[in-house]
Amino acid sequence: MSSKSYVWQSLKGGWSRIFTEPWPIGAGVFALTITNLFMFMYARALGVFPQMAMWGSWLYNIMGIKTESPFAPYPVKPIYLDMHSMIDIGIIVGALGAALLAREFKIRKEDWQGYLWGAAGGILMGFGTLLMPPCNVGGFWVATMAFSLSGPLSAVGLLLGAYVGGRILQYQMHKAMQKLDFSAAPKGETQGVKVLSRQPQWGVLVFSLALLLAVIYYLAGMPKNAGLFLFGILFGLIIQRSRLCFAGAFREILVSRDGKVMKWILLGMAVGVMGFALLKAQGYQPDHMVFPAGWHNIAGGFIFGAGMVLAGGCGVGILARSGEGYTRSWTAILTAMLTSGAWVHIYGQKVGQGWLYGKPVFLPQLLGWGGALAFIYGFLILFYLFILWVEAGKHERA
Amino acid sequence: MKELKAVKVNDNHYQVDMRGWMCPYPKYAITAILEKLPSDSYLDLLVDCPAATKDVPDLAKRQGYEVQRVELLREGEWLIRITNLHPV
Repeated sequence: MSSKSYVWQSLKGGWSRIFTEPWPIGAGVFALTITNLFMFMYARALGVFPQMAMWGSWLYNIMGIKTESPFAPYPVKPIYLDMHSMIDIGIIVGALGAALLAREFKIRKEDWQGYLWGAAGGILMGFGTLLMPPCNVGGFWVATMAFSLSGPLSAVGLLLGAYVGGRILQYQMHKAMQKLDFSAAPKGETQGVKVLSRQPQWGVLVFSLALLLAVIYYLAGMPKNAGLFLFGILFGLIIQRSRLCFAGAFREILVSRDGKVMKWILLGMAVGVMGFALLKAQGYQPDHMVFPAGWHNIAGGFIFGAGMVLAGGCGVGILARSGEGYTRSWTAILTAMLTSGAWVHIYGQKVGQGWLYGKPVFLPQLLGWGGALAFIYGFLILFYLFILWVEAGKHERA
Repeated sequence: MKELKAVKVNDNHYQVDMRGWMCPYPKYAITAILEKLPSDSYLDLLVDCPAATKDVPDLAKRQGYEVQRVELLREGEWLIRITNLHPV
């Protein structure tokens, strides 16, 4: 083989492994962990729901209903000027581009009941994000790595809520199959392979336009908007390619007694914790992603957990899935926005204020860095052992 | 909710269309579908959720079925062929 064709073949193989074939779950987990640490060093860690809540408040204001956004660090402003919102938009665009490149994009329609369940999931997520706060990825995954006591507490609620949601899906599936009868099956045509369209070319176009948009933001004097948009695109790509689903990770532990995905996530967190510790111990944004801690973490986690399973993805999940063409996720995003965006109108105060919420607890402040590290690693190990115990029950029955 | 229906392709070859059912519905359905499948038959399960192309074959194999192919029908749609002809 000539050296030129070797280089060509290697590039083709690499392209196919990254953009066509699905990634192993572990690759997705560690890509996500590292990208999240880099984004924290750049500006902030991953979290998507407070922005969506702000979009909801923004919509209410446009409709003439004056209300403030529920999360204090995210005041109402036009979405395109808000650098945090650029992460969310990036995730949608990144997942869209990745799905097109891999020939996996499709507008996936539902019947009215599917949309109703998606809307219900969105409403539950909307309330859950306010109570928890904020979402699965920000409130459990990042918060735990960022040494917020709220993280491990949220996990309890998310686990139980996702179980309830999963049982509802199982029940729906069971009902839909009751009349399934092969002996009465009418004669039908088999589905042949159809001619493929130009999705990969469209994918290249999506990524090119996204890059162009980032350059425009940069030239317009908003470099952080450009940077966070690019990080969002990377998150969308990682989630789409690895099919990593935080909602599924929580759901399958108790529903199917299968904790494979969560065990990978916990392993990734064990590495990510070190990064957050090294940065925060040097005084870099020590309060970042430290949320109020209390009973509301568990209650909010439960509501959010049930909602994310009905909606078909956690906060990051419904953004990525909406980019892949899931119309149920579009419904869920809209109802979640409108629910959470109305919070200040309903409750009278912002998230973290008033009788409902506890005080933020930054573990190193309470236990020192040694104690905080022991606490978080202890939690990760306990969660891991719990999963093994649940899985062992399945092997016993088998 | 929608109802699942089977279509007969040939004498021992059936098709169940689960396009439009997001994940994890196909994963939750496959065990019961395969239990209902007549013996010595082939099942073509049509799905349009990427994760199902891994979840469903994994689960079917674990229960002793043979997964013969997972192929892209068109963008975002796959056919998974499972048989109970040769118990593993």
